[in-house]
Amino acid sequence: METEVSLELQRLSQQLQQSWKIVRTPRMKAILKIQDIACDAMRSYLRSEGFIELLPPIIGPVTDPGIRGAKQVTFDYYGREYKVMSSAILYKQAAMSGLGKIFFMSPNVRLEPIDSAFTGRHLVEFVQLDLEIAEATYFDAMSVAERLLCEAVNTVRDTCQSELEYLNRNLPRLTPPFKKLTYDETLEYLRVNGVKMRYGIEIPWDAEQLLSKLVGEPFFIIDYPRGARGFYDREDEKRPGILRDFDLIYPEGYGECASGAEREHRYEKVLARMKETGEDPRKYSWYLEMLREGIPPSAGFGIGIERLTRYLCGLEYVWEARLCPKLAGIHSP
Amino acid sequence: MQISNFILKLFLALHRVYSVYSDLAEIWRSYPFREIIERARNGVDAIYPRDVLKPSIMLLKGANIYKTPTRYATLDELLILPPAFTPLRLKRMSELLREPIFSDVDLRHRIGGFDVGMPVMVASMGSVQVANKVSLEVARGAARMGVPMGVGENVATTWGYSKRIRSSQPCFKERVLTYFEHMNDGLGGVTIQQSVEDAYGELWNRVYSDPDIEPYIQKGLVGFEIKVGQGSKPGLGGEVRLSREEAERLRDKYHFTEDPESSLRGSIERHSAPGTYVPEILRSMLRLMRNNYPRCRIWVKLGPFRDLPEVLDVLLSEGVDAVWIDGKEGGTGMSPYVSMRHLGLPLIAALCSVSGRLGVGNGSSSVIVSGRLYDGGHLVKCLCLGLDGVAFGRPVAVAGWVAGHRGVENYLKTVEIEAKMLISALGKYSVRDLSREDLGCLDRDIAERLGLRYVYG
Repeated sequence: METEVSLELQRLSQQLQQSWKIVRTPRMKAILKIQDIACDAMRSYLRSEGFIELLPPIIGPVTDPGIRGAKQVTFDYYGREYKVMSSAILYKQAAMSGLGKIFFMSPNVRLEPIDSAFTGRHLVEFVQLDLEIAEATYFDAMSVAERLLCEAVNTVRDTCQSELEYLNRNLPRLTPPFKKLTYDETLEYLRVNGVKMRYGIEIPWDAEQLLSKLVGEPFFIIDYPRGARGFYDREDEKRPGILRDFDLIYPEGYGECASGAEREHRYEKVLARMKETGEDPRKYSWYLEMLREGIPPSAGFGIGIERLTRYLCGLEYVWEARLCPKLAGIHSP
Repeated sequence: MQISNFILKLFLALHRVYSVYSDLAEIWRSYPFREIIERARNGVDAIYPRDVLKPSIMLLKGANIYKTPTRYATLDELLILPPAFTPLRLKRMSELLREPIFSDVDLRHRIGGFDVGMPVMVASMGSVQVANKVSLEVARGAARMGVPMGVGENVATTWGYSKRIRSSQPCFKERVLTYFEHMNDGLGGVTIQQSVEDAYGELWNRVYSDPDIEPYIQKGLVGFEIKVGQGSKPGLGGEVRLSREEAERLRDKYHFTEDPESSLRGSIERHSAPGTYVPEILRSMLRLMRNNYPRCRIWVKLGPFRDLPEVLDVLLSEGVDAVWIDGKEGGTGMSPYVSMRHLGLPLIAALCSVSGRLGVGNGSSSVIVSGRLYDGGHLVKCLCLGLDGVAFGRPVAVAGWVAGHRGVENYLKTVEIEAKMLISALGKYSVRDLSREDLGCLDRDIAERLGLRYVYG
């Protein structure tokens, strides 16, 4: 069936057929240099705060289910179905229980729905800086997230002037703390600006982009309603139905930067929440066993490296921030 | 004289034999000897309906749940009551500039976010061999008639997602794509169930990111259906009897009460989990589905539960696209006898329990029902009660077995014409004009509960 979607896919596909050549262009060199500097700045900052970087597990019997309609990569592992990590969330909690403050530079794969190829912000294969802090609240995690972003932005701004100039990017200096809007306030803010949405669902991409343009600086959306997130985001006991979680949003229409939460680590609660998300608990046996034995409470978040690069460099598409990018439905090298 | 004496003696002798027979028959009938003998002889096999001909025939025929026909009321308790004065016919006449007839009735409607040719749905038949085998014929026939079709649970897990596991059994994607390829004028749609076991293989995510299905998702023709329950076995999960070799293949994914490998029986029941719900779980699931699959319709199938009104309130407040209530009479192909006999509300009782919530404009949510419904009369009665349509399961499968996709089309056409006749008899020409004033009830209590006139009143 020749639809607009399939024509657009063909166009993108042609563009990406020789993606291995793009790395030779001065533009790509500038982008990757900025990415490297930003990663280095974030690593240094986290080490100075007492975090340990771990090598991320890439495959396992189960992975993060909270990936909004994307399909996990399943393969035959000596007679059993295994998954390629769609995020390292489950292993992050395991690592945190032993080491306290940890982070991974974690490669993730998500077979996103085809329409995500045109959003400019989705990749099938990407890397997340994924961190977890034992005994922390989501406010502690937000405080790390804002300082981490400032560190990355300000370091790039100070040390990559020629690259930024080449990319014609004027990067503002950032200072914490960032503004915090609750989910309810966000809905109201959108309503005032002419966007109506049903309570309880995630903020759609186009609305998020609009917010990102309107607010004018990085900001957090906090306290999502239950039902919008994975089973591991903790519910606020004093405010039933509200999760202790957050998204960090870039300014200028670049959308989501990071997503995080305080974790639900109590076995019975997780089991009930798994049912809400339509999950079969049998699948998560190792994780549930770990929770039943007991792990410390924690909070954490993940920040997508390619999206960060997109913001730093002012790119139109996230796939410009990656060597040989993979987009939904496109067979490219 | 001698001859008449002989006849008399013979008569008395026969009477004695008959008395002994009827006494014995009385004793036989007074206690379920047959059932107990069956159980003793056949063990677990006796729990499920069996047929002397062939087990698979049973699935098409359905169990004989009407052994005692007066046990509970059915839609036969309702009558459609045409008036002599028909102002809407006059109105239609002024539009047509001639006397309207039954073929002027417009049955097009909207169910669960799909535009449909008639307010009927082909019930979500799952992986049961006898239904799956004829599923491509059903898909083709339903698509041509503009009637949405459900694909039941376990099809992808049992028969493969895009490749056939067994050459004689269509796989999941064949069923879906056959439907889409035969659609007319964008009427209809496909809903897809995911059981707990299908969730293991992430069926919905797989469909949502499948390039072949994408164009249809884009057009809003795909729905995802949560099965909270099913007619004849509310509270129990899916049950299918599998050959031992199929059972061995699927042993890791399903529950078997005996090990397929060591079992001595030729076929073994595969049990599927019913799923666990409380209002919060259901609400959260619906929100998650809206988040994860914003371009798909959300359907929920319910069994005849005693708390239907509460469940319906949760579903309507979450704005699901369709709620489908399956009465006790539905899904009798492969249910334990004991559940068919003892579990759940008959359809008409289920309708009584939610009567106040029907036909009152539930936003964009549709409510449909099923359970031994098979003709235009059933359809029209349901529409008059404020429902948006009905689902047919077994009749469509039987029609497919009898004459392929043409059989399915023929069958659906008969329902269409019957419905048009009945609606036109009421002096109405559109589904939206039907209301409870068009029905009467033979039972005073049911009439009161459903807000209908009592026919003898």
